[in-house]
Amino acid sequence: MSETTFKIQRFNPEKDKETYFQEFKLEIPKGATLLDCLNLIKWTQDGTLTFRMSCRSAICGSCSVRANGHAVLACKTQASSVAQNDQVTIKPLGNMEIIKDLAVDLTEFWKKVEAIKPWLMPDEKKETQTTERTQSVEEFLKIDKASTCIMCSSCYSDCCSMAVDKSFLGPTALAKAQRFVEDSRDKETISRIKELSEDAGIWDCTHCGECSQRCPTEAKPLDRIVSLRTVALNSGVTNNYGARHAKAFVKSIKSSGILNENTIPVASMGFFNIPGLLSLIPVGIRMFLKGKNPPLIHHPMQELDDVKRIFKKFEEK
Amino acid sequence: MIKHDIIIVGSGLAGMQAALEVCKDFDTAIITKVYPSRSHSGAAQGGIAASLGNASEDSWEDHMYDTVKGSDFFSDQDAVEIMVKDAPGVIRKMEHFGCVFSRTEKGLIAQRWFGGHSKQRACYAADRTGHALLHVLHEQTFKHAKNIKIYSEWYLMSLIVKDGICRGMVVYNIQKGKLEVMQAKTIIFCTGGYGRAYKITSNAFASTGDGIVAAYHAGLPLQDMEFVQFHPTGLFAQGILISEAARGEGGHLVNGKGERFMEKYASAKMELAPRDIVSRSEQTEINEGRGIDGKDYLHIDLRHLGKEKIIERLPQVRQLGIDFLGLDLIDDPLPIQPTAHYSMGGIPTDSDGHVLSDEKGTKVTGLFAAGECSCVSVHGANRLGTNSLLEALVFGERAGKAALTFTQNAEFHDVNEQEESNKVKNKVEAILNSNGKESINDIRNELKENMTTNCGIYRSKDQLEICLKKLNDLKARFKKGKITDKGFVFNSELIEFIELGNMLEFSEIIARGALRREESRGAHARTDFQKRDDDKWLNHTLAFKKDGEIEFRFKPVVITKHQPEERKY
Amino acid sequence: MKYALYTGCVAKGAGRELLTSTYALAGKLGIELVELKNVSCCGAGVITEENPELADALNARTFAIAEEQGLNILNICGTCQGVMKKAQAHLDNDEDYKDKINETLKEGGHEYKGTVKIKHLLTVLTEDLGLSSLRNKVTVSLDGLKVAPFYGCYLLRPFETSDLDDPDNPTAIEVLTEALGGTSIDYEGKLKCCGFPYLMMKKKQSITMAGNHIASAKKEGADCMVTPCPLCQLSLDPYQPESAKEIGQKLDIPILHLPQLVGLAMGLKPKELGMQKHVVSTNKITAKIGC
Repeated sequence: MSETTFKIQRFNPEKDKETYFQEFKLEIPKGATLLDCLNLIKWTQDGTLTFRMSCRSAICGSCSVRANGHAVLACKTQASSVAQNDQVTIKPLGNMEIIKDLAVDLTEFWKKVEAIKPWLMPDEKKETQTTERTQSVEEFLKIDKASTCIMCSSCYSDCCSMAVDKSFLGPTALAKAQRFVEDSRDKETISRIKELSEDAGIWDCTHCGECSQRCPTEAKPLDRIVSLRTVALNSGVTNNYGARHAKAFVKSIKSSGILNENTIPVASMGFFNIPGLLSLIPVGIRMFLKGKNPPLIHHPMQELDDVKRIFKKFEEK
Repeated sequence: MIKHDIIIVGSGLAGMQAALEVCKDFDTAIITKVYPSRSHSGAAQGGIAASLGNASEDSWEDHMYDTVKGSDFFSDQDAVEIMVKDAPGVIRKMEHFGCVFSRTEKGLIAQRWFGGHSKQRACYAADRTGHALLHVLHEQTFKHAKNIKIYSEWYLMSLIVKDGICRGMVVYNIQKGKLEVMQAKTIIFCTGGYGRAYKITSNAFASTGDGIVAAYHAGLPLQDMEFVQFHPTGLFAQGILISEAARGEGGHLVNGKGERFMEKYASAKMELAPRDIVSRSEQTEINEGRGIDGKDYLHIDLRHLGKEKIIERLPQVRQLGIDFLGLDLIDDPLPIQPTAHYSMGGIPTDSDGHVLSDEKGTKVTGLFAAGECSCVSVHGANRLGTNSLLEALVFGERAGKAALTFTQNAEFHDVNEQEESNKVKNKVEAILNSNGKESINDIRNELKENMTTNCGIYRSKDQLEICLKKLNDLKARFKKGKITDKGFVFNSELIEFIELGNMLEFSEIIARGALRREESRGAHARTDFQKRDDDKWLNHTLAFKKDGEIEFRFKPVVITKHQPEERKY
Repeated sequence: MKYALYTGCVAKGAGRELLTSTYALAGKLGIELVELKNVSCCGAGVITEENPELADALNARTFAIAEEQGLNILNICGTCQGVMKKAQAHLDNDEDYKDKINETLKEGGHEYKGTVKIKHLLTVLTEDLGLSSLRNKVTVSLDGLKVAPFYGCYLLRPFETSDLDDPDNPTAIEVLTEALGGTSIDYEGKLKCCGFPYLMMKKKQSITMAGNHIASAKKEGADCMVTPCPLCQLSLDPYQPESAKEIGQKLDIPILHLPQLVGLAMGLKPKELGMQKHVVSTNKITAKIGC
């Protein structure tokens, strides 16, 4: 069996000004996880190599690192599965500051979890502690997936929106929020969804899908964010740019079967958002001059009536 | 010096339960060597026992009898009675906190079968029950964040007890690389178990008995340390837990000849006999050459349950098989072997979590303990599955309540900050400055091998003497242990070094206790003393540190309702 | 080779050059396209936020119409492709759900049976047509042209419904580029989000995102970027001057639609491919390959 090169990013704040890569060679034992390999390197080659770990059974969420650019839970990942051409690059998680080697600062991560008020707010008046509250299997299933989150911060690390805006609440906190918004026992659904619809909340996700892809559990943050948006749209929490955009989009499809790109920007920005609308002018002119603007006369699809009928059918439900 | 009215060490179920009680009136802090959501309580899978009666009729009396019988009549029955009576209330409390429990068709908390329980009593959240409970408590600490300060990645270095009064601690701030002295009116230890000293173990890397050893070094006794539970279904070679729920839902244990071998050992309860019995049966099968292909493992077979039930009830267990062995238990049996799982022993407490300093029940002023690090003792010689989460919640809450009352009239006691800090600092510097050449990895591996081979499921005088001799050698080599990371910030090598020291320390207490106890009871099985001996050994073991040696004393077992009888399943 | 062409909204709107170049390329390669004109928008992942079942029903209707014609669907928009594949998975993985959705189509005379295949032009080119066939048809080699592939989220994620062999390490655009004689380059932003979905709402963040990716391609020496998704193109091209300003770097990287890149190699003229419509001029690259 051949050796694999582990190219690991190092940084010791007591010594180094910048991060650098160090290569370790290791024969990957059969069935070894990435965490097993990191430990073998630490225990037999370089005791200073620093990373977090605890349960090694994919439930505590300590050992997330980036392998070949993507966040993985080291204890859940077979080392052989990430070795490409006998090499694997290991870096600390993204979107967070490095403390030492592969250990990152989780302070902001936890602050964002805290910001969504991650605790049940039941109807205190109806509360009696003498019996359990019932919850149907269907109600349970709505929150079951989000509740599998292990707070490993893999999704947070690889979130593209977070990379350009550190104020974004991010996938972990939003997935956690869904667990309360859709908990049949919580009475603050509307106030929660209102807060979550504010700037840096549910509408700041580009649904790129990285979070769900990197999630090692069933929590799949993007699906939870979509659920939150559904709650917002269906409970009338729509006085914000994101919901306006979604509403305008759906309205456009409903009226002509296909998207009218001329009306969407105006509707999303809000009809009275003068600075926002003005900001569209340069790009509008640029596109117009090249003939890249949408046709000024929007042609609806053929057989629009059948599509309208389907819309109506769902609205009746 | 950092001061809080009450400091809790450890952020698992017991620690956070206690914090939620005491934060009502006091400035509370939790220190944890990891982060709260990383605590090992979260790894518990199958369930938490309470006689809710949602699946079938049940009573606290039945729960009590099952627990006492499971303990091989070695638990303190007054404490057991408290626990089982508190159980339904504490489950409801968790439900009201918002715990995501699995539900019955009627919407009630679902309950499943579990080993050693005569009723369908284990409340569960799929096979992530510990995780669900840990996270719901973590949520509550956010709710009370104003009153609970959490010091994550702070590591306990020493406990300061003088004149029978607990005063404070010395702690290593891992991220900042600083030693700090902390002073409190009350300290509550919820530091978890000590399974990491075994080669095959379900325990987290963090479960190194730090709190237990800190208490021992501070002059306090440790109780019943020789009782280490081996869980029957650890994933082969990894030791990772495959929940007992897999058997609770109807999984079969099968040997190399394709037999459901439990028929020979516990024909009535079969795979759902208590863990000590099932693990011993497995070991016997392996020892007598009936492992799979004659090797040291057996199979758990769930295929007959069907895909739907497996996905609904045991999703995590299934995923573990896929991730670690590439086997999907929908299609294949999983290779398993017994794995060191739970520490029945620990810091002796009364049923309010107050730490006791001797066999007479003298309380240590200002020190409480709860959860796996403590020994109340509700589990006696063998814990029933689903009783550990219960113990952590019930006694975490009770310790919190008692600490709340105690602290009303308590004050800060003097701590010589400089002296305490220097003691630890000198110890750390001695480690960092040592030019020892012994690999701590080798020492640790040999320790784990030694404990598994010579102080494992079956024990004998000969083996235990070999074990102790080896421990002596390892301790000597440890003094020349090599450390390469000489820094202070996030020095995980230093922590592993200290943890290894702790493991060597308590391993000797386990082995000496096991050698002394010339009987077989619960998880302690002597091949040279195969019978339980109630005349001589119906007594708890207390181990004290005395002039560098271990001194053993006795404490009677509390028997109220159930006289010891022969255990049959 | 005959497909039901699903144009998507953008190729009929602000990205008409995509449709122009698709038809031009199809003509050149002998691919027959029957444009689906009586189908709705795929929902772009937005309708599903308001009503997941409605979104699936609209797509099921599209699938049924293609099935009625006995054709597989060819997408030229990465987003449409991703959304449709996801909708198809919802329907195919749950018989009861499929029946329920079909119930809503019944009145319009449609039924989704589950036989239609949904393909993006990219895999039609690399798999159905095949690289060697393409290689033989090259008349203007892209020799010397450094192409940065920009895949777009929907063609990749979720992996389970992606068409690509290894969506975590895709190579389809790379091997296609090399078959045309060009050089593909690897860069940081290759598999990331272009920022389009919140361009109208979070412009600063969106153009920063796009700008970072363009800059990372430029850093690795790219002459141009190519994308199989017109939404990415809209984000990367028309807004590029703003992106450059936001991140404080000169960018000036032309952003090609996939059929434009392939079309050039097949000897189609830039004008036939609608390249004059791009905001960032493509003259530098057409000069480089000599057409």
